[in-house]
Amino acid sequence: MIPHLPKTEAFFTWLTNWPKTVLILSLLTIAAIGSFVPQIHKDTSSDAFIAKDDPVLIYREHVRKTFGLEDPIVVAVINNGENGVFTPESLSLVAEITETVSKLANVDPDRVTSLATESNIVGTFDGMEVTDLFDPFPNTQAHADRIKAAVEDFPLYQGSLVSRDGSTTLIVAELIDQEIAKDTYREIMKLVADMPKVGGDIHVAGEGAISGYLATYIDNDAKTLNPLAGIVITLVLFVAFRTIAGTLLPNVIVMGTVAAAFGFMAAFDISFYVITNGLATILIGIAVADSIHILSQVYEERVRMPDASRQEVAVRAMGKMWKPVTLTSITTIAGFVGLWLGAEMPPMKYFGLFAAVGVAAAWVYSMTFLPAAITYFKLKPSKLFTGANTNDRYGESLKRIGGAALKSPKLTLAVTLLIAILGVAGTSKVLVQEAQIENFQIDEPLYIADKAINQRMDGTYFLDVAIETTEVEALYQPRHLKRIEALQAYVESIPAVQGSTSVVDYIKQMHKAVNENQQAYYSIPDDPDLVAQLFFLYSASGDPTDFEEEVDYDYQRANVRFNLPTADYQLLTKIVPQIQSYVDQEFNTNEIKANLSGRVAVNHKWLKTISDNHVKSLTLSLLFVFIAAVLVFRSFIAGLFSLIPVVMALLLVYAVMGFSTIWLGVGTSMFAAIAIGLGIDFAIHTLDRMKELIMTRTGSYDDRMADLFPSTGRALFFNFAALGLGFAVLTTSEVPPLIRFGFLVMTAVSASFLAGLTILPVLGKVLRPAFLFTEVDANNKRRLVGATASTLVAATLATWLLVGEGADADDVLPDADALIASVNARDEGQWVSRNLKMELIDKRGKTRTRDTIGYRRYFDTEKRTVLFYLAPSSVKGTGFLTYDYPEAGRDDDQWLYLPALRKIRRISASDRGDYFLGTDLSYEDIKKESKVAAEDYSFNTLGAETVDGFETVLVEGVPVSDDIAKELGYGRVLWRIDPTIMMSRKVEMWDINGNPLKTIHNKDIHQVDGIWTTHSIMVENHKTGHQTNFTFSDVDYKNEVAEKMFEQRSLKRGK
Amino acid sequence: MFLPTPPSYRHLMAASAIIVGAALPARAELFDNLEFSGIFETHTALAFKGTELQTSQFSLTPELSFDISPTMRFTLIGRLRGDLKDRLEPGAPSNFSRTTFNDRLFLGDQLDAEIREAYIDTEIGSSYLRLGKQQIVWGQADGLKVLDILNPQSFREFILPEFEDSRIPLWSVNAEIPIGELTLQLVWIPDTTYDDIPDQGSTFAFTSPLMVPQAPVGVPITFARTNKPSKVISDSDVGVKLSAFLDGWDLSLNYAYHYFDRPVVRRFITGEGVAIHQDYMRSHLIGGTFSNVFGDFTLRGELGYATNRYFQTDDIGDLDGVVRSNDFSYVLGLDYSGITDWFLSAQVFQSFLSNHEPDMIRGSVDTSITFLARRNFMNEALTAEALLIQSLSDGDGLLQLAVTYEWKSNVRLKAGADIFYGKKRGLFGQFREADRLTAGIEVAF
Repeated sequence: MIPHLPKTEAFFTWLTNWPKTVLILSLLTIAAIGSFVPQIHKDTSSDAFIAKDDPVLIYREHVRKTFGLEDPIVVAVINNGENGVFTPESLSLVAEITETVSKLANVDPDRVTSLATESNIVGTFDGMEVTDLFDPFPNTQAHADRIKAAVEDFPLYQGSLVSRDGSTTLIVAELIDQEIAKDTYREIMKLVADMPKVGGDIHVAGEGAISGYLATYIDNDAKTLNPLAGIVITLVLFVAFRTIAGTLLPNVIVMGTVAAAFGFMAAFDISFYVITNGLATILIGIAVADSIHILSQVYEERVRMPDASRQEVAVRAMGKMWKPVTLTSITTIAGFVGLWLGAEMPPMKYFGLFAAVGVAAAWVYSMTFLPAAITYFKLKPSKLFTGANTNDRYGESLKRIGGAALKSPKLTLAVTLLIAILGVAGTSKVLVQEAQIENFQIDEPLYIADKAINQRMDGTYFLDVAIETTEVEALYQPRHLKRIEALQAYVESIPAVQGSTSVVDYIKQMHKAVNENQQAYYSIPDDPDLVAQLFFLYSASGDPTDFEEEVDYDYQRANVRFNLPTADYQLLTKIVPQIQSYVDQEFNTNEIKANLSGRVAVNHKWLKTISDNHVKSLTLSLLFVFIAAVLVFRSFIAGLFSLIPVVMALLLVYAVMGFSTIWLGVGTSMFAAIAIGLGIDFAIHTLDRMKELIMTRTGSYDDRMADLFPSTGRALFFNFAALGLGFAVLTTSEVPPLIRFGFLVMTAVSASFLAGLTILPVLGKVLRPAFLFTEVDANNKRRLVGATASTLVAATLATWLLVGEGADADDVLPDADALIASVNARDEGQWVSRNLKMELIDKRGKTRTRDTIGYRRYFDTEKRTVLFYLAPSSVKGTGFLTYDYPEAGRDDDQWLYLPALRKIRRISASDRGDYFLGTDLSYEDIKKESKVAAEDYSFNTLGAETVDGFETVLVEGVPVSDDIAKELGYGRVLWRIDPTIMMSRKVEMWDINGNPLKTIHNKDIHQVDGIWTTHSIMVENHKTGHQTNFTFSDVDYKNEVAEKMFEQRSLKRGK
Repeated sequence: MFLPTPPSYRHLMAASAIIVGAALPARAELFDNLEFSGIFETHTALAFKGTELQTSQFSLTPELSFDISPTMRFTLIGRLRGDLKDRLEPGAPSNFSRTTFNDRLFLGDQLDAEIREAYIDTEIGSSYLRLGKQQIVWGQADGLKVLDILNPQSFREFILPEFEDSRIPLWSVNAEIPIGELTLQLVWIPDTTYDDIPDQGSTFAFTSPLMVPQAPVGVPITFARTNKPSKVISDSDVGVKLSAFLDGWDLSLNYAYHYFDRPVVRRFITGEGVAIHQDYMRSHLIGGTFSNVFGDFTLRGELGYATNRYFQTDDIGDLDGVVRSNDFSYVLGLDYSGITDWFLSAQVFQSFLSNHEPDMIRGSVDTSITFLARRNFMNEALTAEALLIQSLSDGDGLLQLAVTYEWKSNVRLKAGADIFYGKKRGLFGQFREADRLTAGIEVAF
């Protein structure tokens, strides 16, 4: 239907005049963008699904740090015998596993909990005694029975450590680094495989194992799927064209597409998430679609004009195909943009964005590389394209299907209506549900273990409630303890919650123990002093760190941990708000507050966005493709027509989901946006061709449509085959959600294809819409694509502003200057005193140490700091005093007192970059502590980075002048500023020549007297290999540091 | 000249006991924050001449400190020193310059023990008070003394050891009182101990005519008498220092009324030859110091005007062989730290006499310069240093090279060379045959 359009043909003629140049440029571009791909970094953690600065995630980090809670790996020892696990054999197995697991590198040996590590609290006539359950080790059944009795008398262990029926006991191992949890899981699996089985199985599960292992599981799976998708699609191409060029050229475009999507992803430092694995498969399918249409046209043209030159054929084919290919690319991009804007979870957002980037790349290569290749290479004619219409068996079958539909329009519409009704019915039955464990095959050992353990125990999923009070030792107060007790009782009354652990349980157990184990005393004492004494008594014979998971050192914060045997979305959406409202009500006083945390709370936070995400991205995608279609056909009705196949496909998929109980979960929720983006193509191609046929052919409606099926229909069929089979490959996956996702998209694509080819011609026949039967004037047409594109851009921007504002505001990086200003405004207290141990370590590991004491005090805005060396004796008495003036440009005043000289030396402060007394920190670093001299640098925010599990903002500082750079000794500095505490967690420095100079790592940052304080600074000098470790202790912001401490006369006195 | 007697130590112990005991009355805080540390050091010097050991000594310097009360801290630093060679102070040194309660205990020829410091730090309001045996150091110059005259010095190894070790602490009262932005230091030193000057025959005995009178060869010299002040009150020294930090400048004004720590060595020609009389003379010293930083440079200076100093003369007609003059002297120093790991320093010292006679050994103007270059390596684990002191007036000088390596946190290895040059009559040249290589280990505990 494309009339002579000199401009586009002129373009393609010009392009094909230089085929070799275009080919080389295309390949170079592919290589250049592709060269970024190796830099891509993976973030396969499940925390990636939630924005890093989300308060829930930050709070969980806080709780995790306070109580040292990490996601554990859990080993369950089961003995189905009459005594359960309380036999010498089973207990010895527990001891053995505990010991071997503790020795694993990634297991925190102090945080392994099992019968072999836990203590029993028993009353003695003068108080209580804390003894290890396994002390001495139970060698006899009688002894094992005694342990059984002790555990049964210790409610805290019931259900959490030992199952209530005694058949199962757990070894809970907390991991040091969650990132390598999968390796630890494998190690433990291997370990356990060698252990003898005593009367039952040994299982390994736990949150740590699940989240750690899941990523690898999906990852490995995708590694085999993507190549398979490539092979399948190559086969489709071969079947479609039976020529080498027809098979290979689209594969070059596939390469370009995939390289562009992942190359840009790497270049913009976007992580490769678990679900990004699916992107490659989708792009492979999409990338070949454009070339299938263009190549089909080329082969048709060759048949039509056997004597034409290769260039003429290419130009003619492109002249006809550029528009539908461009339009479908735009609509597909629109679909993915909808996903990008609609989704809140970062992995989904970026999935949408880079799918759009890939589609755009596929379009560019199809418009440039393909015509150039067709011109340059001698294409063998395809045997399949012989006549004016290609009447091979595919064309024939399609003609039959389409013809049948056209012949009985009423039946076609009735079937359509039926499917629509089924779809609506099914939609109401779709279950929004997600559970990480369900991502595994049901015969996976981890899955089996999870089910077995959670069936017997109180549950391995934890919901934490962190209690915070305002005063030290407030948790000795019975009124607070009773509040916690009531919380436990309330939450445990929820059927899904199986048990809980808190410091209150220990208090009650101890209270009972000191009262001759009388059950009546299993209660909270009324006297705070008695509570304090109980802890004191415990510490007399037990390890005081036994409580560190339940209460902090100051008895100011407590953690209550609830056990859940399952943690699926449906359950969480029910109970988390319920518990939240209880907490909001009961823990909302000035002296006590509580917050929900733990993995369960975090998961709930992001899981609850699934259905929102789905609806939002679905709506936006539909809206965008509708706008695109309206503009393409300059008709509102045409827009609605285009949506019909897509909507039908969606309804069918919902019907399938609803009736076959496929959950709408993380993976499946993306299908709709993707299906819209892909499915709309069929409608556009079909409608475009229908319009052409109606305008150019003669005869009845059915006669004019006769050519639709064998030509456009055939191309669409192979387009569909490539996409459908691409997604079908996913169904061979081992990961259940991926199987479902592949199945759903395949269903949707098939439905769109069939609906496009049948319903649209029938509707055209029945409704005779004006847009199909009127010619659009040439001028309008020329503006068509431009208008489409610009409207889409405008719509995207508008939506981004309206819809995305809330969600995306978080993604906008904070202003660097403002951030630095906030860092510098961070409260440091008016004064501080602290001990500082310096370790100077040379590259061979030889360590020298210095013990010092330091004081700082603000005199209005002037900061004075003094540091005294205490040990070793050889440097004892050395003192360093600094006056740091707030005025920019005013040098500090510094004095050094050297005991060997007994003189205070005035020292130059202009060499701020010199190393401070043999450390790897410069005088400037020492003086500024974790602040920054803002006037020295120009700052830039570069992005975000996770440091020690904390999300930080990457701020670059470049000295404002060469002189300043020389003074500082730094040519560039990169701070990782944690915006929640306004402190840099890590700093990298480069020298003035741009070589890496050193890395400063601030660790062990926690609040002292309400002020964020780093307790450990590790500095690595990359040039010398030297390292400096600073460890701060006894940090005190409370006690005033006398003004005279900062006078020269005090410097001489040595402290 | 007398040897110390045990009773003097009993006095000392008694004095310490009284000081400590006075603060005792059942204070729970007593001995709070008790700290004990110390340094063990060896020091061996190999003389170039004859390649024989000049000294092979060790010293043990224990330090004990504890709180007597929250505002009162007691510090005790002792020193036990042994020298296998016994050439620096051969036999039993005369030691006449010390007071009884600031004496060394000689345990045979090779061992000596002394209380280096023993003081109580306390605060009265915002004033600091340090009572007891201590070092009080004035001035801004390195290795040269204009104002650093409150404590005498031991010259057993001339000026080669660090002043910290060679300075002789005195029993003193030292108060530092803030007055607005100024600090007033009041010092009272009842301890009439003066410089330890090596006896003739020691390695570093003075021979330069600048310091000791000369007699023609064959003329016998007798040490007739030494007048050493000994009255606690009337012979005590006092000092006042007013210091301030003003507009970036560290400034001080100093005044001392004191006995000059080196005796005036008078020679009287008698029938039997030359008789030497040694007298200590009082002097007024008024002076000041300043320092400030200019970019990479630190400027330091001290100047002083001292009355009543005595200088040797060659004039045979002079009755006692010394000329009295007032002395204006100054040191101007410039430190440069603009190169990473380097410290460079230069000083000029000049002294002008108000009264100069033609036959005086020294000129009316005496000029010396010093250069110091220090380079740190390996994060200051290794330090190399060269110090040159050059007399422009006499042309002689001293070059000191030293390398210190911090092997462990508490172990330092040291090596160095001390090279004197110039004419034998010069201050430095007199020791040109005492050039040496040194090595030592310092262990802190």
